[in-house]
Amino acid sequence: MNYMPGTASLIEDIDKKHLVLLRDGRTLIGYLRSIDQFANLVLHQTVERIHVGKKYGDIPRGIFVVRGENVVLLGEIDLEKESDTPLQQVSIEEILEEQRVEQQTKQEAERLKVQALKERGLSIPRADTLDEY
Amino acid sequence: MFRYESLEDCPLDEDDDAFQALGEEDEDIDQFNDDTFGAGAVDDDWQEAHERLAELEEKPVVAVEQTGNGSADEMDLLVGHEENLAERLSKMVIDNELEDPAVMRALHTRPVVQPGGLNSSIWDGSAVLRRIRGPLLAQEMPTVSVLEYALPQRPPQGPEEERDLSERALPRRSTSPVIGSPPVRAVPIGTPPKQMAVPSFNQQILCPKPVHVRAPMQQRYPAPYGERMSPNQLCGVANSSLLGHPFPPSVTPVLSPIQRAQLLGGAQPGRMSPSQFARLSGFVSSPLATMNPKLLQGRVGQMIPPAPGFRAFFGAPPPATPPPAQQHPSCPGPHLQNLRPQSQMFRPDTTHLHPQHRRLLHQRQQQNRNQHRSINGATGDRGGHRSNHQEQLRKDPYANLMLQREKDWVSKIQMMQLQSTDPYLDDFYYQNYFEKLEKLSAAEEVHGDGPKKERTKLITPQVAKLEHAYKPVQFEGSLGKLTVSSVNNPRKMIDAVVTSRSEDDETKEKQVRDKRRKTLVTIEKTYSLLLDVEDYERRYLLSLEEERQALMEERKQKICGMYDNLRGKLPGQERPSDDHFMQIMCIRKGKRMVARILPFLSKEQAADILLATARNLPFLIKKDAQDEVLPCLLSPFSLLLYHLPSMTVTSLLQQLMNLPQSAAAPAPANPHLTAVLQNKFGLSLLYLVLSRGEELQSSDPSTELMQDNQWTELMFMATRELLRIPQATLAKPVSTPANLASLFSRYVDRQKLNLLETKLQLVQGIR
Repeated sequence: MNYMPGTASLIEDIDKKHLVLLRDGRTLIGYLRSIDQFANLVLHQTVERIHVGKKYGDIPRGIFVVRGENVVLLGEIDLEKESDTPLQQVSIEEILEEQRVEQQTKQEAERLKVQALKERGLSIPRADTLDEY
Repeated sequence: MFRYESLEDCPLDEDDDAFQALGEEDEDIDQFNDDTFGAGAVDDDWQEAHERLAELEEKPVVAVEQTGNGSADEMDLLVGHEENLAERLSKMVIDNELEDPAVMRALHTRPVVQPGGLNSSIWDGSAVLRRIRGPLLAQEMPTVSVLEYALPQRPPQGPEEERDLSERALPRRSTSPVIGSPPVRAVPIGTPPKQMAVPSFNQQILCPKPVHVRAPMQQRYPAPYGERMSPNQLCGVANSSLLGHPFPPSVTPVLSPIQRAQLLGGAQPGRMSPSQFARLSGFVSSPLATMNPKLLQGRVGQMIPPAPGFRAFFGAPPPATPPPAQQHPSCPGPHLQNLRPQSQMFRPDTTHLHPQHRRLLHQRQQQNRNQHRSINGATGDRGGHRSNHQEQLRKDPYANLMLQREKDWVSKIQMMQLQSTDPYLDDFYYQNYFEKLEKLSAAEEVHGDGPKKERTKLITPQVAKLEHAYKPVQFEGSLGKLTVSSVNNPRKMIDAVVTSRSEDDETKEKQVRDKRRKTLVTIEKTYSLLLDVEDYERRYLLSLEEERQALMEERKQKICGMYDNLRGKLPGQERPSDDHFMQIMCIRKGKRMVARILPFLSKEQAADILLATARNLPFLIKKDAQDEVLPCLLSPFSLLLYHLPSMTVTSLLQQLMNLPQSAAAPAPANPHLTAVLQNKFGLSLLYLVLSRGEELQSSDPSTELMQDNQWTELMFMATRELLRIPQATLAKPVSTPANLASLFSRYVDRQKLNLLETKLQLVQGIR
């Protein structure tokens, strides 16, 4: 049902399983039930999927209402190919643990980098503290 | 309406007494509010009626059945009240709910056939549907056969039902109305559609309102008895789509998800009267129209199958009436129930959609309808695929939560956004792109044969600009105006005044920076003028005769404005300094802009620009080292050159070589010319000039060019320089004009000519 050729519309995506990436980095998977003109989404039977390396874990979340501006991208999931993935599913606890470990190592690396730069008299301003010119 | 002392006072359980108490208290205070408390208030009656009926529901069902006559009064009451309610609630848009517990309850408890009741059939059907939808939503119950539901068995959600009942306002319809009762004008809530709904059709024609329990039938137009679809048909329709229950093959129609949605969501009371249907026939394809009456007529005799009769219906092959499968194709037509209440509008509010868009919407929906219809009948792959798809959807009980009407609403908003007052302004790239595509396909079609593939194009219609005079909100009788700040009427937050700083205080750096900024501003202003001028051609074509003169004038003015901007607005006789122009030419955007402006300028103006460029070429070359944008000027320059008189050409050459008008003996090395030769643009420009000169010479031997010796001298110098310069440093020109060889042959001897030829690669084939 292509209402308008040459445009992108979510209407044809309704009632299909989608993967939605949010601005805060979360990945949601759910059935797209409803939309509006701002691309606010209603996701049903939503699962938040956390990926760490080759592993992932699902946290069931229920119904999500996502404000359109927070969506980075979304795409339909092919149900037949959904299971055809090299990634390994693990339990929630495990994936959260993995995530925590990954965060830690990242922070550690960042800290070392900043330290090294400081020693050399350089500083890279963080993106959020940068003034806009 | 009712004023609650506090939240706790809200009569959640609709306690009539509490209401009365509140009302009495408030009457002392507010005696003006007739509608709420005085004569105008009818709600009390409503409440009382409801209470009575609610009590009724709790009595054993059998008792209700037996009081067939007794319930007639209540039915009358009900009808009356419902009509009132309907008026009030007709505007409400509420979620789709088929779960009228009163209806359902009544239905499933009624074990015997009720003759003469158009209600009976309706209730039967709605019960069926309710069973289908209710459990699926409320609990994840496994799909149960409709047949089971149809039988007078208590479904598991008995208690739930009772709970629901108490919350519903609508009284239960226990039995079919007694013969004496007034015919229900419209189908009650929860009535499944007569036939399969056609999604597209639905919104177009019918602005489907989601079913609301409390919105009774009033608003639907009178539907003749004969038009009702038998509940069997309804069952067939509903079952196949939702429950996936194995039915005899002849009974399994293929429902599109949308149709199913219509069934569920759009299952509105309301039948089309024949007159209305006739009106709609324009939208419905003819087979529909013809089939429908047949079906209906066929069904009239069978209007009241008993609940248990459902099983019989499905068990046995369908009788002489058209098979259910066939009914689906005709579904779209009769299902057009949901016309808007008071109006006879057949479409939702698409009036402010461009007619093209509206047509497109209709077309697509018709297409879909046709598609579904044909698929229903098809047995091939398409049918198979469809039914597979159907099966998938059948397993998804939450499908179609978003109604077709809502989808269309979103679609409509998107389409409205496409309407613009000036498509070329709003969506330039899209328009151009499709123009190109169309030209291509038109060209192809010339060669090709057969019908052109219709390339669907998004229509961006041009809509007349509506002038909206924004008037801020005003209350009558109030003193003063509201201070409301909104998008249309923003409040001034900051008093920002632009002050120009005094020149003395600034440092040199700041001055330089300011100058650059000023240049940038000039470029932007000139660019706007340029875009306008470029647009005039199109406007000219679109305009009327009278306006054209004015348009031309405007255009001329703008061109002059551009030129002034380029050269600096100094009103002096001569333009003493090229400084302004040079500043612009130092900036990449400025150079591109000049290239675009040149075609619009007059010959003199353009020549002036060209001369200025040549004069300052080394400087420009230096500045252009990073951008390398100068070559973009070559093509307009070359176009210009071929219109220039020889005098200009000569002086141009002079400028290029940086010689004063009255040439003294040139220095052995000419740094200006050297720089020129070493730059791609410079060399190319030089070639162009030389080529032009040669052209002039060869075309007209007695040309002005040869009048004085300047040209000859210049040529000598040029050739000398060209010979002198090492080949390695020579730039690679954009193109080498063919007539250079003949030009040089006039001024140098054979030997040197050969040298030049090899060096400059003037002869074709050497490269």
